[in-house]
Amino acid sequence: MQEYLTAVGDALPYLLQGVLVTMSLVLGAMGLGLVLGVLLAVGLVYGPPHIRTPFKLYVWFFRGVPLLVLLFLFYFGLFTLVGINISAFTAAVIVLGLISAAYQSQIFRGGILSLPEGQLKAARALGMSDTKAIFFVILPQALRLSVPGWSNEYSIVLKDSAVAYALGVAEVMARAHFVASRTYQHLPLYFTAGVIFLILTYLGTKTLRVLEDKVRIPGYVR
Amino acid sequence: MKAMTPESPVLKVEKITKRYGSKQVVREVSFELNQGEIKVLMGPSGGGKSTLLQCINFLVIPDEGRIWLGGKEILHSQKKDLYEYRQKVGMIFQDFNLFDHLTAFGNVEIALLKVRKMSKNDARERALAELERVGLREHIRKYPAQLSGGQKQRVSIARALAMDPKVMLLDEPTSALDPELITEVLSVIKALGADGMPMILATHQIEFAADLADEIIFMEDGVIVETGPPAVILSQAECARTREFCAKLTGLYGDSR
Repeated sequence: MQEYLTAVGDALPYLLQGVLVTMSLVLGAMGLGLVLGVLLAVGLVYGPPHIRTPFKLYVWFFRGVPLLVLLFLFYFGLFTLVGINISAFTAAVIVLGLISAAYQSQIFRGGILSLPEGQLKAARALGMSDTKAIFFVILPQALRLSVPGWSNEYSIVLKDSAVAYALGVAEVMARAHFVASRTYQHLPLYFTAGVIFLILTYLGTKTLRVLEDKVRIPGYVR
Repeated sequence: MKAMTPESPVLKVEKITKRYGSKQVVREVSFELNQGEIKVLMGPSGGGKSTLLQCINFLVIPDEGRIWLGGKEILHSQKKDLYEYRQKVGMIFQDFNLFDHLTAFGNVEIALLKVRKMSKNDARERALAELERVGLREHIRKYPAQLSGGQKQRVSIARALAMDPKVMLLDEPTSALDPELITEVLSVIKALGADGMPMILATHQIEFAADLADEIIFMEDGVIVETGPPAVILSQAECARTREFCAKLTGLYGDSR
């Protein structure tokens, strides 16, 4: 036991530096996923067929191919092929973000579809273009309704981010693995890594819960 | 009856037709609405009243027919013209359709800011004035979910009026309201009519229609069955179907005002 504690104690500062990397991965990916996901959702709901079809293909592709395959495909394949020289970290943010966009688009699509049809009609009746109606009437409501689903997406992206270890990104998992393979203290180190992820999940979902209350429309019954 | 001006009608619709599949929901409906005139659309549910009203401001695109506002024909494919036209045609819905994420004030203000591009101050003043006009000055900070049905409908009227409409379309504005809330909405509509706002109003409130309408249009199965002043339509309609319907409504709603 003493041995375990010492191993964890020695490695902890190094692991905790990885938390910064992990959270940067997660926030970057979720931010990218948010912007793309909203665009995808709007296109999927309101777009003409020549927009909807490629958007559907996008969602199908990024939800259908395993994360590890996509990471390798983009980092070692595509990015190299087109001659973009980016760090493993940036590549991981982009790939995680592209995948998250596919999932987030479905969350937002659900939010948009759950609004009564009359909201868009009322906006149009006031002389708003569809773009204005979507921007000022539909999305502010749909995004509020999407926060619960979004907190699910956070925990998934957080856990997925550990796979960036395969590209050599020094996030929590990569650091745990690095120390464990040097010291042979596998159990305490991976255990600690797991606990760190649990704490990050808890903090994130808790924060989103606060956000959910904060953006709730007064008088609106859940 | 209000005096008719010799100018062209405020709103003219000609042979509006809307089909869903093989069913013709609205069939070759034509009429003219003059300055200060109030026409009431009556008839059974599913008779095409709501679809007709939504065709008039192109919330539902009619399959055939032409529409003029103030003598100018509106082509819905010209987006800019369409958006301008819709500003001039105030629409009131049966279930209010207030924007749920905005306060009463925000509901009135938003189109002033985003559509009419008014300055923050002007929009604020205008929104407050309209909410005052419908008697909701003390409720401006409330959200739709915190308002009663009657208050919500009055907010939606204020929201429409803030756009300076030339004509108002009201689609059963009191049908979703509790009986004791109907009066407050009707009195707002009545005041509007007294101010000379041309209106097309679909309603089942027969006494209100009798009181307010210059003309009643009776619609069933998508066509205008009969048209005439309330005194004629409500008591001695030529068409037996109109008489039967009006008699039933009188029995139902006759004393509910």
